[in-house]
Amino acid sequence: MQSGALKRERDVREAYSAHSGELFGFALRSLGDSGLAEEAVQETFLRAWRAGDRFDPQIGSLRTWLFAILRNVVIDLGRARAARPRVAEGGVEPAVEPLEEALLSWQVEEAMRRIGEDHRRVLIETHYRGRPYAEVAAELGVPEGTIKSRVYYGLRALRVVLEEMGYED
Amino acid sequence: MKTERCREWRPLLGAYALGDLSGEELTTLEAHLEGCPQCRAEAEQLGAVARLLPLADPDRFSQPAPRPAADLGQRVAGAISSEQRVQRRHRRRRFGFALGGAAAAAAAVLVLLILPGGGGGTPEQHVEFGSLPGGVKIYATLEPHAFGTEIQMYVKGVRSGTPCHVYLRGPRGKKVSAGTFIYRWGDDSTATLSAALDLSRTRAIGVRAGDRTFIAPVEGGEATATSNSNEEDVT
Repeated sequence: MQSGALKRERDVREAYSAHSGELFGFALRSLGDSGLAEEAVQETFLRAWRAGDRFDPQIGSLRTWLFAILRNVVIDLGRARAARPRVAEGGVEPAVEPLEEALLSWQVEEAMRRIGEDHRRVLIETHYRGRPYAEVAAELGVPEGTIKSRVYYGLRALRVVLEEMGYED
Repeated sequence: MKTERCREWRPLLGAYALGDLSGEELTTLEAHLEGCPQCRAEAEQLGAVARLLPLADPDRFSQPAPRPAADLGQRVAGAISSEQRVQRRHRRRRFGFALGGAAAAAAAVLVLLILPGGGGGTPEQHVEFGSLPGGVKIYATLEPHAFGTEIQMYVKGVRSGTPCHVYLRGPRGKKVSAGTFIYRWGDDSTATLSAALDLSRTRAIGVRAGDRTFIAPVEGGEATATSNSNEEDVT
């Protein structure tokens, strides 16, 4: 895509098709409300279209640019929501996750979805559920060494996916 | 360089990064890492990934990724179209104000000094082309000038890249070319053209877009029988 090319409707459509799912996923993760998340995605593409002349692929990818816009939109929507009167006095306010942490959490969860099923399963069983490797091996009918090997390749795959998503140490 | 021992130990680096090794396995692996910078570097990389795992909730990532409502794309396109319409209205207003001010005064001077009677007080004409194929929209605004007629042309819905040739028709059916432009998909600006034919003598406006020609009548022109040397056949 050329510099400023996001001014054209066709390019906005292509950008929407390529990135709306991820943008919505992050917006939902940050805002916790699908209606607000959709509003955030719509506003992101509208702002991207308005500022289409300023998009320069030499500086960064379209995905990175859209996420930068979405981050600002989420902050704006979060502020607007915070300014609204509270519904239930004395009620417990939902915990607001800091935006950068929400982005990282969402990235790790999204990366987990993208690695192979075998790798994801052993990471869930051994790491998240804390089950012994031998027990998981017996359940899956494979040697314990295979479970360790899947944990290794699972973490490697996660790293590759996270790097593809722009994560840096 | 990877050694046979590296190949033997590497599959354990994941469990090591997660802190799941113990006993002799852990001791022997750490002894290997001590003397193997490559395996040590990989263990550090995997350790960085392992430290991120607590940020993810397995209940969430075990579910399919959430998707927005199917019509969100249409809503985004609608919001952009709506803003484009507003921008177009502003552009037309700006254009109108400019004509109403200094430009109109300059045109009046031209009328007086160069071509007395040019424009003939004919009001601006807004022409909307009717009976068009589905999805095609064509509008034109014709403005009288001393030099002839200025045309703001708006076309939408023909194939992107189509060359469009605009012309005016005079009283005896002769065509006067107003110039050409290329229609680009998504470009909602108007093409500014001009034709050497007074608006008062213009009977119709035509657009040849590719192999199709669209014609709309222009109302308010005064009938005249006199020939005009400015008219020429479109080539």
